Amino acid sequence: MPVDGLREELVTLLPRLRRFARALARDPHDADDLVQTAVERALAHAGQLRADAPLAGWMFGILRHAWIDEQRARGRRGRVLAAGVAAEEVADAAHGAPLDSIAVQDAVARLPEEQRLAVALVLVEGLSYKEAAHIMAVPIGTLTSRLARARDALQAMLGEPDGAGG
Amino acid sequence: MTFSDENLSAYADGELDEATRAALEAAMAADPVLARRVARHRALRARVQDAFAPVLTEPVPERLLAAARGPGSAERADNVIAFQARPRPRWSWPQWGAMAACLIAGLLLGPLLLRPSAAPTPLATSGGRVLASGVLARALSQQLSSAQPVSAPVEIGVSFRARDGGYCRTFVLRETQSLAGLACRAGTAWQVVTLAQSTTPGAAGGGYRQAASALPPAVARTLDDLIAGEPLDAASEAAAREHGWNP
Repeated sequence: MPVDGLREELVTLLPRLRRFARALARDPHDADDLVQTAVERALAHAGQLRADAPLAGWMFGILRHAWIDEQRARGRRGRVLAAGVAAEEVADAAHGAPLDSIAVQDAVARLPEEQRLAVALVLVEGLSYKEAAHIMAVPIGTLTSRLARARDALQAMLGEPDGAGG
Repeated sequence: MTFSDENLSAYADGELDEATRAALEAAMAADPVLARRVARHRALRARVQDAFAPVLTEPVPERLLAAARGPGSAERADNVIAFQARPRPRWSWPQWGAMAACLIAGLLLGPLLLRPSAAPTPLATSGGRVLASGVLARALSQQLSSAQPVSAPVEIGVSFRARDGGYCRTFVLRETQSLAGLACRAGTAWQVVTLAQSTTPGAAGGGYRQAASALPPAVARTLDDLIAGEPLDAASEAAAREHGWNP
């Protein structure tokens, strides 16, 4: 599609891309780095987007690749844990940011990569299993079992939310 | 029938096939423990969604906007009114598209789009659509047909509501070729749906005319096809402008 049209659509899509990236990368700055990388890659390969293909799905796929590349690079450098970020956010929470969000985001960040992707696409972004499986390049059955395992793990980490019992 | 964790998880995501879903719902009605497991899956989904939802309303960092818009974006924003690149369903009139494509394929559009880049063009293409830009976009958004400067480069004809509720306006580009057309509001842009050479040897005379009388037949036909009721009077036109031409 023409690059100008793509640019405008990307601007519209940025909030969702940031949310998706946040579910993958946890640290807001790292997440925005991923979005920037994905946007630049998308513009460089604008010709590969079919006119009838949903842009969001295409972008999630590009962002997923950028994230995987980043994880590999990070693995080689030795894993950096974002302990500083968590401390900052707990301080923010004292000023009204919802604590439960921090707990949930931390729990998602502890999921294995493939489960985290499934959670980000289906639970956070609300994609169908079919769309999510396509982006992850796995059969729907594989996606379904990853989601079920991710849910188990999240329940184990988070327990019941306050006031949601019964 | 027993249900796996995957069944329950898929149910909470609305992804279970019809037959299994019916069976599960029947089982849940009879088994409070099962119902509670499903409720936990649903609560978790909502909780995860809520945890990340605030990101959507955060201000987007400037560096990301710049990456998406590309170099010279500030300049472009000045010349081209921002638009929704992909038309919403209510704006995707296939017959209009065909009509516009037909007219535009001719000699009309070339000179306007290919003009030396120093002069801002009144039309821009984006995502397969033709959008008003520059003086045309400004006139469509701001100029009232009841109060038009004689020297304005664009003359607005009639403003009206289309059958789908959106606003459309006819216009004549006075400069050079005396093109006339019809544009409809699409998001924050104006999508040009018809464009044709004005039939009367128009602007050369220099006098002010009622634009409607100068409308080429193709534009007049589009107007007839689209209009719901009567054109807007001066007061409704001013009110529409006041509301940013949002239906």
